[in-house]
Amino acid sequence: MSNIIEIKNITKEFKVLNRREGLKGSLKDLFSRDYKIVRAVDNISMNITQGEIVGYLGPNGAGKSTTIKMMTGILEPTSGEILVDGCIPYKNRTRNAQNIGVVFGQRTQLWWALPLVESFKILKDIYGVTDKDYKDMLELYQSLVDIEPLLHKPVRQMSLGQRTLSDILAAFLHNPKIVFLDEPTIGLDVSMKAKIRTLIHALNKEKNTTVILTTHDMGDVDALCRRIVIIDKGKMLYDNDIEHLKGFFGYYRTLKIRVSGSLSETAEKIAAEFPEFSVSANDEWISVLVDEAKSTVMDVLSQLQKTYKIRDMQLEEISTEEVIKKIYEEGVK
Amino acid sequence: MKRKSLGFYFRIYRKILAQDLKSKMSYRADFIISTIGMIFTNVAGFISFWILFQNFPSINGWGYYEMLFLYGFSLIALTPVQCFFDNNWNLRMRVYSGDFIKYCFRPINLFFYFQSEVFDIKGIGQFLFGLGTLIYSWNMLGLGFSALMLLKMIVFLISASLVMIALQNAAASACFWMQNSFFVLDFINKMKDYAKYPVTIFSSIFRFIFTFVIPIAFIAYYPSLVILRPDEVPLLSWLSPIVALVFFFLSYKLWMFGAMKYNGTGA
Ligand SMILES: Nc1ncnc2c1ncn2[C@@H]1O[C@H](COP(=O)(O)OP(=O)(O)O)[C@@H](O)[C@H]1O
Ligand SMILES: [Mg+2]
Repeated sequence: MSNIIEIKNITKEFKVLNRREGLKGSLKDLFSRDYKIVRAVDNISMNITQGEIVGYLGPNGAGKSTTIKMMTGILEPTSGEILVDGCIPYKNRTRNAQNIGVVFGQRTQLWWALPLVESFKILKDIYGVTDKDYKDMLELYQSLVDIEPLLHKPVRQMSLGQRTLSDILAAFLHNPKIVFLDEPTIGLDVSMKAKIRTLIHALNKEKNTTVILTTHDMGDVDALCRRIVIIDKGKMLYDNDIEHLKGFFGYYRTLKIRVSGSLSETAEKIAAEFPEFSVSANDEWISVLVDEAKSTVMDVLSQLQKTYKIRDMQLEEISTEEVIKKIYEEGVK
Repeated sequence: MKRKSLGFYFRIYRKILAQDLKSKMSYRADFIISTIGMIFTNVAGFISFWILFQNFPSINGWGYYEMLFLYGFSLIALTPVQCFFDNNWNLRMRVYSGDFIKYCFRPINLFFYFQSEVFDIKGIGQFLFGLGTLIYSWNMLGLGFSALMLLKMIVFLISASLVMIALQNAAASACFWMQNSFFVLDFINKMKDYAKYPVTIFSSIFRFIFTFVIPIAFIAYYPSLVILRPDEVPLLSWLSPIVALVFFFLSYKLWMFGAMKYNGTGA
């Protein structure tokens, strides 16, 4: 299989100006040499094949967006090589743009005042999509999500979730080879997240589109990606199957429950009952970090229910930060 | 990929424009209010002009109708910048918030794509008002009429508009280099109010500035001399189409250069 994206030892450094205050300061800034260097991406290499969905994971400020910006051609790497579909993105920005679709979560690229379908029609012209391909694509969309109510709604009247959904549909509209999704599920509720994950999955299946998905939500990765790449502070920590990662330290989820009675006392009792899991208590919630390799969350829950009166419960995926912490501690490669 | 043709851009623009107008019309109250506001702005501008002339029937050898001609000329010349390049006013906020990035993902010219987002319909009223003023003063001055004059008029109006567009592009692109750059655009915008006066009424320093530094004298004064005083047209008037083209091109390059630079290092 051929690589649609090849990245070899790329590094990106930003020169950040130490800004001055006020009008005089901003004039001085024009000539200032008072810089500090921020290394946002540090010597990263990877190859991605056509049709893959890659989860690009890392905490805030890890360098995910910067990597995406280099792949889309709006940033030039400080050093290293990058090829997207055989060409160098920053040297061929507009040509590269024809091959890719991009969604930057929470920043819509659609025309704010126009109904979605009108945005689609303009995009159809910009990308030179044929009438037939356009029609087929809309039919496909129709079969995957209920777009009818969205089509005639101006983007500015949409909820964040609807807007994200629309932006994703717009990114796939010209059937690009690669779609970059930068934190598409950030700030969305659970049901919208699920809807969007299903949509991305189906579009990838149907069109064999390569998807690079940036997120700090393990749930996204778990639902969509076989391969994950983790970066932190610009450096690559992990690039392998998600199963491989789970194999190393199981798969953790946090079960949170609220019980009647004293919080700390109950937490202590639960900790004694499940010595293999870490238990903590705060803000009226007792958290049990369950290693699903040892027993499932459902087992733990039903066990607890026998002894305690559970008033409320929540389930949380392990956070990226926790995964990264574990990688540092246990050295998974 | 081959370069996109002018026809391609024209089609895209027309499509965006048609949709934009449709959506603006659907907010009827908004539309009516801004139309009324536009009429008031123009009438107020005219009244202050008229009052000035009640006190000074002639300024430096320029009579009322000649001044009116300049006024109308400048209103028309300032229309395209108002209609088609108004998004320059939003550039700073887009850059500051980071939203500017969204314009960089399309396979079309970045400058075009950015400017095409906003069409300011208010410019049309200004255009009609300017046209009326121009025709009226033209008539009162008894300048006569010929096809050649009309052609000259169109060429010189276009170059005059290009100068203002160029000024605004250059001013707007300041935001790529500095924070709090609003004053630059604001300053240039205020300067354009002086475009409607003959540059000869200013002191020699300002005459120099308005010709060579912030060339607002090319928005009405120099180009309209070609029609207004055909016997004494200075070289600068004949040069104004070239000045306009060069200046516009440079401002476009500056804007694009700033945009690329901003992506590389910006906020
Ligand atoms: N244009 C820029 N100028 C200066 N520093 C930047 C710029 N873009 C990103 N950075 C810095 O680079 C680092 C990585 O940022 P980013 O790629 O946005 O991270 P992520 O998307 O993983 O949250 C951060 O420390 C950020 O402050
Ligand atoms: Mg980011």
